[in-house]
Amino acid sequence: MAAPLELYCWKGDWGLPSVDTDCLTVLAYAKFAGAPLKVHKITNPWRSPTGTLPALKTTEESTRSLSKPSNIIIHLRKQKYNADYDLSAKEGADTLAFVSLLEEKLLPALIYTQWVDSKNYVDVTRRWYAENIPFPLNFLLPNRIHNQQLERLRLVRGDPTLEPGEQLEKELYQDALECMTLLSQRLGSHKFFFGDSPSSLDAYVFGHLAPLLKVKLPNGKLQQHLNSLDNLRHYCTNILILYFPSEAVTPTVSVHSDSSDFDSEPHKRRKQILSVLFAMGSMLGYAILMGIVSIQHVRPQAALVGPRHIEEGGEEEEEE
Amino acid sequence: MCKCMSVCCLFVFSEDQILLSDCASSLAVQAYLRMCNLPVHVSCRSNAEYMSPSGKVPFVHVGNQVVSELGPIVQFTKAKGHSLSDGLDDVQRAEMKAYMELVNNMLLTAELYIQWCDDTTATEISRPRYSSPYSWPLNQILAYQKQWEVRRKMNAIGWAGKSLEQVYEDVSQCCQALSQRLGTQPYFFNKQPTELDALVFGHLFTILTTRLTSDELGEKIKSYSNLLAFCRRIEQSYFEDSQAGSSSRGYSKGPSLF
Repeated sequence: MAAPLELYCWKGDWGLPSVDTDCLTVLAYAKFAGAPLKVHKITNPWRSPTGTLPALKTTEESTRSLSKPSNIIIHLRKQKYNADYDLSAKEGADTLAFVSLLEEKLLPALIYTQWVDSKNYVDVTRRWYAENIPFPLNFLLPNRIHNQQLERLRLVRGDPTLEPGEQLEKELYQDALECMTLLSQRLGSHKFFFGDSPSSLDAYVFGHLAPLLKVKLPNGKLQQHLNSLDNLRHYCTNILILYFPSEAVTPTVSVHSDSSDFDSEPHKRRKQILSVLFAMGSMLGYAILMGIVSIQHVRPQAALVGPRHIEEGGEEEEEE
Repeated sequence: MCKCMSVCCLFVFSEDQILLSDCASSLAVQAYLRMCNLPVHVSCRSNAEYMSPSGKVPFVHVGNQVVSELGPIVQFTKAKGHSLSDGLDDVQRAEMKAYMELVNNMLLTAELYIQWCDDTTATEISRPRYSSPYSWPLNQILAYQKQWEVRRKMNAIGWAGKSLEQVYEDVSQCCQALSQRLGTQPYFFNKQPTELDALVFGHLFTILTTRLTSDELGEKIKSYSNLLAFCRRIEQSYFEDSQAGSSSRGYSKGPSLF
């Protein structure tokens, strides 16, 4: 057996193993296929081998590190971790089709609701990323991703003058609501999409729907619709409980002392006190050196007597 | 019973100008309208792209309404009382929509990639054809602008890093999925064609009858015999009347890009 593969992905929150859709897809697939992965949950994409997250570090020299979820899943399949082993040819074809449906109809709305809708972006997304990405990237990355996602929506819709607003929101959400209804109809009352064991399609659907279910957004139309589709809601919570039990226990933002050393929350107070002390100490030192502030032990009259004392001291020394 | 419709007027690019992806889309719409038994008249305009409300061809002009792209056209005709997918149950409808997105996501994107991101094809075929109605320097500017726009889109959706071989492989996978779904049935659902059949026919037929710099794309499709039979069946059922002696020439419908 090859050495365990290493996966770099975004940190989790709100009861999810990761906050990012692609990372969730890969994590879920790895659990379904039983692939032993060493998972690094980080908040700095520049630390990953490819510069983006998720990233799978392979031990072979012939393959570079992989970043797209589809590439990662193909690689895991080649390593004999195949969650689609039992699927018939038609079910394999259905998988491709439904993944395309997710990417064409649901993903643009997800991008919009998380990154482009102004209230959601400012109140939740940007705040979370700014709090969790280490300095100084937390000033650059959220905005950069926001611009990239808006650009992506513009290119996909073919309209370079697209602006976030009600019209765009209406169109995107209409497609997304229809997509979720279709998924719900296809799932029916089954436990997973194909039989009783999960497959790659379940990983993709989970990756797309779970953030929508768990992340509390102020403008939550998509969330409301998802909550109204009972079977999809149970489906997502079921997967969370079965395959990610440790995450499901912690609902609020809690302090993790993981392998990640980028968590600065517990040290925030200490850092603040240290920095204030350092600043005050350096200011005081500078003041003393420049003579702005001086500490005088000598009384004003003693200045006249000073030299005599020294002379006497000197005579005394000479005598002795 | 036809409720509304004065004759629809379908607008596309002219034969010299049209490219693979636009031809596929317009053939799909034509097939769909013929399947609905709606009379359609095709008009060729070099500025069809700019006339369209969404910037994409083809679009139809009916009465005082203009609708572009297959999805909205299907909804429009449904609102007027013509629908091919009424007989499907919920699960089948979900599958139909999913497979339509599969064709859009993989086949259409692959066609765009081959046309505009492959340098040979772009230089020899796409740019000259796209800019043929215009004179210098507008033709150069518009062609390069379109190419740059498509390349940026490929970048945004993650296709920019793919090689041509990988794109052919994706097309092959897509065809395999379609072939599996079709099986031995005459159409994808029941015995009646739906908009999915129209869309698949549009794309596959165009790829088979279009000459590009290499035949590999056509070869990938030809390896699936049920897809070939499917295309032939739809051509014979819905397009026979518009071609004289086409059976002897085999696949001759649609422009070839040479």
